Amino acid sequence: MMINREKPCDGFEKIKTVAVLGASGTIGSLSGGLMAQNGLKVYFLSRTQQGSERGLQKAINQARSETIAQNIICGDYEHLFKQAITEADWVVEAIAEDAGIKQQLYEKVEKYRKPQTIVSSTTSSLPLSGLVQGRSKDFKSHFLSTHFYNPPGRMSACEVTGIEDTDPKIVDFMKDFLTTKLRRIVIPVRNTVAFAGNRLAFVLFSRITTLTREFGVEMMDYLIGPYTGRLLPPLATLDLVGLDIHKAIINSLNTNTNDEFHSWLAMPGYINTMIQRNLLGNKTRGGFYKKLESGRFVFLDPVSCDYIPAIEPHVAFVEKAKHFTRMGMYKEAFDAILSAQGKEAEIVKDILCAYVAYSYLLVGEVTDSQMGIEGIDSVMSYGFNWAAPSVIVEVLGGCKQAAKLLAERKLPVSPALTSGLKSQFGIINSGKYFVAK
Amino acid sequence: MKNDAVYILGGYQTDFARNWAREKKHIAAMMREAYQGSIESTKLEPDDINAAFVGNFASELYCMQGHLGGFFTDFDPHFVGLPTIRFEAACASGAVAALTAMAYIQAGIYDLICVLGVEQMKSVDSAKGGDYLGTAAWYEQECTGIEFPFPKLFGKLGDEYDARYGLDNKHLARIAEINYGNAKNNPNAQTRDWFMSLEHACTPGKYNTTVSGRIKVADCSQITDGAVCLYIASQNFASKYAGRRGLKLENIPRILGWGHTTAQIEFAKKVAASKNNEFVLPVTRKAITDAYARAGIKNCWDLDMIETHDCFTTSEYMAIDHFGLTKPGESWKAIEEGIIEPGGKLPINPSGGLIGCGHPVGATGVRQLLDAYKQVAGIAGNYQVSNVKKVGTLNIGGSATTNVCFVVGI
Repeated sequence: MMINREKPCDGFEKIKTVAVLGASGTIGSLSGGLMAQNGLKVYFLSRTQQGSERGLQKAINQARSETIAQNIICGDYEHLFKQAITEADWVVEAIAEDAGIKQQLYEKVEKYRKPQTIVSSTTSSLPLSGLVQGRSKDFKSHFLSTHFYNPPGRMSACEVTGIEDTDPKIVDFMKDFLTTKLRRIVIPVRNTVAFAGNRLAFVLFSRITTLTREFGVEMMDYLIGPYTGRLLPPLATLDLVGLDIHKAIINSLNTNTNDEFHSWLAMPGYINTMIQRNLLGNKTRGGFYKKLESGRFVFLDPVSCDYIPAIEPHVAFVEKAKHFTRMGMYKEAFDAILSAQGKEAEIVKDILCAYVAYSYLLVGEVTDSQMGIEGIDSVMSYGFNWAAPSVIVEVLGGCKQAAKLLAERKLPVSPALTSGLKSQFGIINSGKYFVAK
Repeated sequence: MKNDAVYILGGYQTDFARNWAREKKHIAAMMREAYQGSIESTKLEPDDINAAFVGNFASELYCMQGHLGGFFTDFDPHFVGLPTIRFEAACASGAVAALTAMAYIQAGIYDLICVLGVEQMKSVDSAKGGDYLGTAAWYEQECTGIEFPFPKLFGKLGDEYDARYGLDNKHLARIAEINYGNAKNNPNAQTRDWFMSLEHACTPGKYNTTVSGRIKVADCSQITDGAVCLYIASQNFASKYAGRRGLKLENIPRILGWGHTTAQIEFAKKVAASKNNEFVLPVTRKAITDAYARAGIKNCWDLDMIETHDCFTTSEYMAIDHFGLTKPGESWKAIEEGIIEPGGKLPINPSGGLIGCGHPVGATGVRQLLDAYKQVAGIAGNYQVSNVKKVGTLNIGGSATTNVCFVVGI
């Protein structure tokens, strides 16, 4: 008896060895860990041996197995770079979001890489083409973006795109390789800044940080909480991402995009103050949230930038929606939101409608029109753990009703929405994104 | 009682990787999704359903909620006025619910029964959950004051094999590796994104701690949350169902045979009673051979694949010789020869089984039947085994106290 499986793409054996640059960081170490888990030989490189070894430990923790260490070789740029790059069939760059540093590193990679070695960047905030200025034709034709989501062990989305010079066969090969070998949900995206997921999410985050000035951190995350179709509330997500990264992405979107939501891109003064005070989020043990030794959380006051005790908000329509969510009645939960009145309810409706409006507006710009809403649905579900935009449309009452709600809020209504694009996502199998808190 | 065939019309499985307590959901939300998903996937009309049977082990302990049948009325007002019943036989709760549904159909009482297996287990910590599982054994005799009693009981099963025939733990590790590997092809499997290798399964360590004796974490199925809903139908209903969809009745999977036995509740007594028997668990073997006889098949080689109860690697090791793939005590041969692997002569657990797919106790028996249905219908996706006509399932409760075997096929 044979198991039927999709025929693997030819040539996967071409990639046996991978060099991860920036292996001390989260994305570098954990994406590298996935490669080691799948039997590839992986060089973990960073500025210091100790940094790479810290990355190795993260990879071990992700796999929950010490045995993957036998596939990983740790080293620093000074001592192991030449050997790793010479041997590598694929070089993954996951260093800090600084175009200048990346360009310098690519110059060094070019010195030692074999012809046809694939080079990919995990950046989403920097324009890709600029990173390979001055590189050879062979380098450029083998260069692409493989944008993993954090943490790769739990978030399987990976946005893939090439630059103008990239050989399309390389992009196709890597899509198959990432899907089959590394079990990624690959979303083919266009080469636009922040690609699909971060473009959409960070515009919404930006709007939420602006509203936070008025409502406060705790209330904002309560209102746009997991019951609205996301595993983590938005400001808690930014604490996970880091405010320095948030700022880099917002700045890049400000410079490189211009659409109907451009005016939402803002960096409120209190966020700059937080960055100045090194309140970057989880990595500095304080951001919008701060956990006290007692285990209790305090919340940043956007006016004073000091931490204030919890207020434990309680808004009737939110509690009603949460009750329906607890019982698995997601449509009824959204009916409770839609029928509620008042300032808080309007904010929730605004954000949900903006999510839908911007998602459908981006179809054709960040993903191919032929994909419909499917690509954006995938990246939001598998990259952010948010209910897909098409699922939110369904719980809002369907395409027509959603379009009506958007129009009432003077939000753009994309033809992609009104044409009723179908998606593989549905309410029933998206229940995990609606959390009753 | 009529001798008409009893058909399976498909159903729905929740994603066994989910943690519904973390989602702050009530157990009824899980049941609702399974029911609604089953209606969506089968396109059955709720008005055609005559009764709902629930398989569940211990929702009172894990969720402080009993009387699960009553929730159907909350999912669909159609159920108000219809009969609902809950069945319990420890880890075989799902199978006995399906078995009873089959009996009701064969008795001519109902034409279409919704069978829903469900368990929410991540609502408590692992120590407490392990203690609750002890109630599937004789709690006072075998579990009082013992942390994680079931790994110990199934470790003893391995010890008994070792004593009678010899047992190399590497064969158990290979069972774990195969099940984890199979789970990677199943989009609803708990461990589909987890790492496993033979070396990891063989090596005790921080992430593969020894639970008891020869049983390490890699040898254990993991507790999880899950619900599975499927439909059992009479020949009369299945004929109409097939006709409406332009299907041939003979191509709709049906229950060809079944076996149902109960062994001594204490594990030590089971083993003592089998002292002079070539099978370590002869009562489990009887459930299998009863199913073969009722299905009119000679032996396991008339099956195309098996979904068995691998709550621990030792239970799958036992199932291999009890299904008859090898002589008693020689399960290792089937492992070494690749018989149970994907592509082998008789693959076991292409779904990942309990070790790979997950073991939400009350749902497992129903999940096995749904997977058997999918395989025979050719709709198992990436874990489809080619040309499946007959599938054997084995669902056991407690330390193989309750044993239910089905042969599903066309």
